[in-house]
Parts: sequence; C-alpha cells; structure tokens
Amino acid sequence: MPAATSETTFRPLGALLGWCFPGLGHIVAGNVRRGVYAMLGILTLFLGGILVGGIDCVDRKEDSLWFVGQAGCGPIAFVASFANDALLKTGKAAPMIEMYSGAPGGASVSSFKGLAHANEFGTLFVFLAGLLNVCVLLDAAVREPRSDGVRAGRRAGEGAAR
Amino acid sequence: MTAMVAWTPFLQPAPAVHAWWWLLIVPMALGVAMAYKAIRVKDVSEWPKAVLRMSAQIVAAIVGIAVGLYLLVILLLPHLPAE
Repeated sequence: MPAATSETTFRPLGALLGWCFPGLGHIVAGNVRRGVYAMLGILTLFLGGILVGGIDCVDRKEDSLWFVGQAGCGPIAFVASFANDALLKTGKAAPMIEMYSGAPGGASVSSFKGLAHANEFGTLFVFLAGLLNVCVLLDAAVREPRSDGVRAGRRAGEGAAR
Repeated sequence: MTAMVAWTPFLQPAPAVHAWWWLLIVPMALGVAMAYKAIRVKDVSEWPKAVLRMSAQIVAAIVGIAVGLYLLVILLLPHLPAE
C-alpha cells in the first residue's frame, strides 16, 4: 500500500471499479499485474468458498450479518445470493425437504442446504474475500496510476542520468 | 466415492468436508496471502515469493496454536486439581 503523504489523492472511481469487480480499479488505472494478482486472490477465496459450501453459503436474508462482509466482493456476491434464492430456495436445483412438524407454516428447506463444516468454511471464505476486496479497492483509490511500471523501469535503470 | 460422483459443484456443498475440513486452512491461507500481497508488495515481481512466504507463515501459526491448545487441554489441564 502506498505511503500516506500530503500528495496522496483519493480517487473514488478506482474504489467503485474495484467494488464492481475485484482488481478492476487497479487494472483501469494501469497497474494491470497488481490488479490481476488481487483478482486472483479474491476470486480464489470467493469461488473456493462456493465450491466448498455450495451457493447456500451466500445468503443475504438468512445470514445477513455475514453478508455485510461478503458484499465487499461486489455484484458477484449479490448474484450468488440471488442464485441461492432462485435455485435452492424455490426447489429448482434440488428437491425440498419438509422440516420437523413444529416448524412454523410447515416450512421446507433445499436438500442442497449447507451444514456444519462445509457451510462454515464456505461462508468464511466468501466473507474473507469481501473484507480483502475492501482493502484492495481502497488501495486502488489511493495508489498512483501506472505506478508499477514506473517503479520497475527505475529499477531497471531506465530514465537514469547519463 | 458415490457422493463425489453425485456432487453438483457450486450448487451443493462439497461431500465429506467433515472428514478433511482442517485441510481447507491451506487454500484459505493461500487466498488471503494472494490478495493481501497484491497490494502490499512494492515490486509486483516479488508477489509469488511473498505469497508463498505469507501462506507458510499463516499455516505455521495456526498449526502452532493447535499444538499449544492440544498441550494445554489434553496434557496440562487434566493434571490440575479438580477443586
């Protein structure tokens, strides 16, 4: 992360792009490799979480507090939550199971609902992805555009006094 | 094996996670290190090495905590007086 100086400027567009898709703020600002690396890290956690816990580990209605952190991933978290509603909770993806007789309104749940360690780790992975993406998008907002290329060029001796 | 064949990735939770959940610490550490080091390294060419180093540090720290808690709960606490 760049050192905070009096010359540091906050670019809201970088943060907004970083929220729209992980790493996009850096890529658009010209720090392409850094953006791609950040994107790889965030997507590894996000997709790994859904792979382990299933789509049920992103649920803005039932796990609303977890979703506060998960929403840091941006629209992909909302898409996952909507997919959970549309595929699992409606019974389109898998048959519904009746809950015990004391449940209010004879409620039923999807047979693909995540439980125990699978759900815990899946939820945690996506939550970590959201929190880290908040750090990444804040970095995109304050980092100098095309600063990686300049630094690498200086190290290689380009632009040195002859 | 049957559960694995019938598994629908991304829709259904991964089968038999309860047996190997602790191994998930490795991809978790890797993902955290990948994202964190992407914004922390000064020179992006140092990223792969920094990621491996930080992943190893996270896993080693968690293993260290696990060993410490094991020693405390299984070995030390039973020797304390009950009253």
